[in-house]
Parts: sequence; C-alpha cells; structure tokens
Amino acid sequence: MTIPANTPPEGEPLTLAQHYRAFKGVLDERGILFSFSGYLSEGILYSLGDTLRQKMTLDDTDLTTIKKVFSVFVEQAQNIIRYSAEKVLGTVGKSVELSSGMVTIGTERGRFFIVCANTILEDDVPQLKHRLEVLQKMDKDEIKAYYKEQLREAPDEKSRGATIGLIEIARRASEPIEFDFDRIDAEKHFFCLKVSI
Amino acid sequence: MDNLVIAATERSPAVDFDFAAGVLSLKGESYPEDASTVFGPIFAALEGFLGVAECRALRFDFELIYFNSSSAKALMNMFQLMDKAAARGVTIEVNWFFAREDETMKEFGEDFSEDLEHVTFNLATTQN
Repeated sequence: MTIPANTPPEGEPLTLAQHYRAFKGVLDERGILFSFSGYLSEGILYSLGDTLRQKMTLDDTDLTTIKKVFSVFVEQAQNIIRYSAEKVLGTVGKSVELSSGMVTIGTERGRFFIVCANTILEDDVPQLKHRLEVLQKMDKDEIKAYYKEQLREAPDEKSRGATIGLIEIARRASEPIEFDFDRIDAEKHFFCLKVSI
Repeated sequence: MDNLVIAATERSPAVDFDFAAGVLSLKGESYPEDASTVFGPIFAALEGFLGVAECRALRFDFELIYFNSSSAKALMNMFQLMDKAAARGVTIEVNWFFAREDETMKEFGEDFSEDLEHVTFNLATTQN
C-alpha cells in the first residue's frame, strides 16, 4: 500500500523527505517525465535530449513520435539558450553563455507535451506574440508551405533563425500550439509555450 | 583540391568529401549551438569544388538521423548551390537515406527534392 505524501502529524511541519516528496508528487501528478529549471547550456540540452530519446525508446514509442518530441525539445531549449532575458556571460577557462529558463516534458491524455518557459524583455513581446499567433491560425499544409518558404530565405542574422525554429515546433505539433505571457515587472514578462504531440 | 574529412561530434555530422573520387557524404546528427560554425567550412569546400568541377560527376550521400531547423536551412543552401552547378552541366546525384519507419526524415527528403530541377535526387531506406 502506498502511504500518501504530505501527511505530517497534526500541527507538525513537513520533514525534509515529506517536503520534497510532495514537491515531486506535484510533478508526477501532472504526468511529467522530467522538468529542468535553471541555467541551461548546450551540454545540458544534449544530456537531457539523449535521456529523453532513451526513455521513449525503452517505452516502445514509435520512431516518428520520438523524432517529433525530440525535435520540439531541441528547438525549444535552443530558443531559451538564445533568447532568454536572464543570461550569465563570462569566461570560465572558455567563453560561457548560460541562459535561465525551464523545460518540462510529460504525458497527458495519451499525448506527449513539451513546455518551455523563460523571461523575455517587454520590447520583444509584440514580435514573438505576432509570430506565434500567425502559426497558431495555420493548418498543417499552411505550416508546411510556410516552413519551405522560410527555408529558402537567406538567414536573418539578427534573429539567429528564430522564425524557422518556431515553424518547426508548430509543424511537429499535433494540436495548435499554446502560449502565454505573464508580466513580471515594467521590463520583463514570463513567457511559456506548450506543444502537444 | 584537398579532401574534407571531419569526425562527427555529439551534435554535428561526420563529413567525408572525397573530391578526387567525386563522392561526398554527411552522416549523423546536426543540432549544434551555431550552425554556421559547422556548415561554414562544409559549404565553402563544396562551393570551391563545384566552381572547378565543370563536366564532372558528383555523388552526395546524406545519411542524417536528425537535424535542427538552422541545420535544415544550411542544407537547403547546399542544395541550391548544387542545383545551380547541375544547371551549368555538372552531373550531380544525391542519395537521401532514411530509416524505413522515419517519416520525418523521409518528408525532409521530399521537401528538398521538390526544389531541385537539375540534381538527380534519390530517396532510399537504410536497414535500421
């Protein structure tokens, strides 16, 4: 029998294990396979992505679904690394760029979902919102045509490829993408994007 | 022209350009932090070769498992370059290999091939 988490004797605070079991329980209840919050690097992206593919393969997930989930994960994580407004830059033996954000992968109603979140600057909200709204309204064929059109375009130096990355994410999604912004202060917003596959 | 051989890394493909034999290949995965760092030298070598490859035959094998969107863009640039060279008379054959059950890689092959007018583009499944 499983003893429910979060049940300290009356009036007593949670013990260390109870506290963190309850914390993990919240993630488990939401069907989360893993969730990373903090400073992301390309090394973490590689390790998480590799583990994700191994887990899905062990669960006998079909190859096309593994590819779609992995692709959305990579594009989302690389968007955080490139565009998060919370960054630490410096030199630690070599040049290092760490970007803060969150990547969460789980299952619900028989589908995988991937959520990425990071803070973004007020000035960058309108353009990102517009790009996502355009993609949200498109059907599968329109997204595919839009992807091909952007593939032929010369690289946009400033965006470092944001548009094509977002189109790739929308293309792999089984349902229209969901996104939201929550204001943090005068200059920053919390941005999140959810994709179901 | 010197051959270009670059070993694969965790997030970049193996490059084997044998210019003397006219056989080029890219194998593995590609989702580097900065696609231009990985594809810059590859593109430059291909461009250099095609510039002096008049009346030659070229075979390019792609055996890619996964690539991100910025790598897709770099691949598209390579195909556009090859199509222009093929239009000038260089015989170019591309073999696009994908795992039998991998719909994503198959679709990418179809997408790229649709834009090519002068390059011969073959889709082929691998054993795995």
